[in-house]
Amino acid sequence: MDFGLSEQQRDVQNLAREILGEQVTAEKLAKYDSYAAERFDRELWQQVAQAGLLGVAIEEQYGGMGFGFFEAALIAEEVGRNIAPLPFISHCISAAMPVQQFGSAEQKQSLLPGVVSGEQLLTAALMEANNEDPTQPRLCSAQAGGEAVLVSGEKLCVPFAEQADYLLLAATDGDGAVVVMLPRKAEGVVLEAMEVTTYEPQYRLTLSNVRVGAENILARGEQAQQLLASVAEHTAAALCAHQLGASDKAMRMTASYTAERQQFGVPIATFQAVGHRAANCFIDVECLRLNCYQAISRLDDGVDASVEVAIAKVWAGDVGHRVSYAAQHLHGGTGIDRDYPLWRYCTWLRHNEMMLGSSARNLAALGSKIAAGEAFCA
Amino acid sequence: MKVEFSAEQNALRKELRAYFEALMTPELKAECDESMGEGGGPLWREALKQMGRDGWIGVGWPKELGGRGMSPIEQFIFVEEVMRAGYPFPFLTTESVGPQLAEHGNEWQKREIVPKILAGECLIAIGYSEPGAGTDLASLKTSAVRDGDGWLINGQKMWTSLAHFCDYVWLACRTDPDAAKPHKGISMFLVPTNDPGWSCSPVVTLGGVRTNATYYDNIRVNDDALVGEENAGWKLITSQLNRERLSLVNFGPTAEMFNNVVRWAQQTDLPEGGKIIDQAWVQINLAKVRAGVEALKLVCYKQAWAMTEGQLDMADASAAKVYGSEFFIEVYRLLGEVIGQASLINRRTPGADPIASRIERLYRTASIITFGGGTNEIQRDIISAAGLWMPRASR
Repeated sequence: MDFGLSEQQRDVQNLAREILGEQVTAEKLAKYDSYAAERFDRELWQQVAQAGLLGVAIEEQYGGMGFGFFEAALIAEEVGRNIAPLPFISHCISAAMPVQQFGSAEQKQSLLPGVVSGEQLLTAALMEANNEDPTQPRLCSAQAGGEAVLVSGEKLCVPFAEQADYLLLAATDGDGAVVVMLPRKAEGVVLEAMEVTTYEPQYRLTLSNVRVGAENILARGEQAQQLLASVAEHTAAALCAHQLGASDKAMRMTASYTAERQQFGVPIATFQAVGHRAANCFIDVECLRLNCYQAISRLDDGVDASVEVAIAKVWAGDVGHRVSYAAQHLHGGTGIDRDYPLWRYCTWLRHNEMMLGSSARNLAALGSKIAAGEAFCA
Repeated sequence: MKVEFSAEQNALRKELRAYFEALMTPELKAECDESMGEGGGPLWREALKQMGRDGWIGVGWPKELGGRGMSPIEQFIFVEEVMRAGYPFPFLTTESVGPQLAEHGNEWQKREIVPKILAGECLIAIGYSEPGAGTDLASLKTSAVRDGDGWLINGQKMWTSLAHFCDYVWLACRTDPDAAKPHKGISMFLVPTNDPGWSCSPVVTLGGVRTNATYYDNIRVNDDALVGEENAGWKLITSQLNRERLSLVNFGPTAEMFNNVVRWAQQTDLPEGGKIIDQAWVQINLAKVRAGVEALKLVCYKQAWAMTEGQLDMADASAAKVYGSEFFIEVYRLLGEVIGQASLINRRTPGADPIASRIERLYRTASIITFGGGTNEIQRDIISAAGLWMPRASR
């Protein structure tokens, strides 16, 4: 039992906090509002890569730090705290980690060094229309074409697809699934920009008989299912960490604002109605933090974490929503003023809440596990 | 970061679960039910002494104080398991007042009282609230006046729970009526309930639980009864309350109840076919409880860990108390809905289901700890000030 961070974890956290805290400013973020510019700070991405943070969970032989998922999730938390314009989760968690775990020696050698240095960008296409379960692709299919496969279909909301070199993508394959690392420039790949609430670059991806060679097939059959389950859980847990960072920051901005803002001749924080709503956020964020850290530590240890991830997702959805609206409300008009930085947090808290399942869906999934006798308390 | 217990701690947990399964005989369970879950009966007393003889009450206490020398985590595991077993454990004595006496008590208290607490032979009630002093505790009026080499105590306390079968009251008294600030004129005493000047009258509550009004009529005690320094009682009160808060939101009984309701819903037929648990709304209610229980577990374990590390955070302790106390009410509501009308049937009804009737009772008792142990409004004040550095109104 240890609720503290190791020295190594603290180092990673501090490094990420230092770089992102310094480099991500409200002025810089404003450049990306309303898609005025591509929401990807490439200069900062290179700085993060040079600090070694893109390779935190990648083995040393590929240039990484050789740490684990816990450290990577701590970076995701800092990305969330600063709502940094970086494709950290899609690149490091949803794509690079499965390549490392399931890829062949050649695939790892060809992809991972570039992942760590920042020269190659990866992403993952996990969503389909009306299908937010990354483990069950339904709208993309793969046909055998000799050693290769021919993939057709559609994926939605693919983050940084246009910017990426390879996209992790799953398609149905007769009785199972096949997972490929699709080269973005392959023939038959059409990307269409979507506009979403956070201004993150996202794309609708249409594939017509796209030929993916054997060298880019990551997993099939049983292994593909394992890979997809792992991607779904790790991505969800990393989103929880992002949500934790963003919620914590929105809450602390609110505490500072209400301590400064005077009405009736006193700081509004001295009114119990204000202090108590902030206190509720504190309790909420603490519950999210503990559930999130439990889920990521179990995933990091490689033990079953399905119940813990499901629970963390419920908390992430609920807490993000509640903190977002409490922060907005306690800021009054300032909270919605686009010259004040809080509003962007509200869109990201919403983004994380809805990505890969909402609280309602996650509660229902947890309920099924309970009914099946898989979620008793120890 | 690691939430799992060590192999030794898991073994201890298993050992304790088996221990309490044997200790909680049907007769003892029936007696505990009869006392509305607060204990005090002869079998209950004997079981407590048994735990003392077996070295459990002080499992996480230092050896030099008569404990087994394990950490607060092992102590926490013990309390979790004893509560999970449905034994009304006198945690106010063992987990909150006891450690205060061990740390701040005088020679007599350390020699006479602490060992008896660890032996399960001494019970102590808390005497803070008065008819006119609740949340504003520092306005209390019960007085202790110097009388030769001793003290003369007079006054009245309210909500002195368990006092009718306790040996002492941990009593907050005004010793300096002229102190510059009211909380600087308060001292703590251990007052024996067998003194002829001591009396109590019952107050029956919504949940059927008895509490008491207690009266102090010219009780004379000597300096042995004074805990800590004269007029330095406030610090003892606040640290006792910090410890009490942790015990109030124990996770064991809720986890046990969740598991029991799930099993019940899995096994119980719907008249139209299928099982109770097949219904979507039942699964949602259970999932809400399950997600909340997980947070409760983590909040509690973090406190136990923080105590082991010696870094108990004030905002975290208050957050645990608010979260736990308000979550319990939600749990009894959500699980009661799953059980349905049976969750209104009192255990005295012949054939009453033990799980359902437990929810019937707990739903009625749940409101106590949202205000007891320091009302949640004050806890939220503490959280916004200590956890978020927000300024507080002066009062």
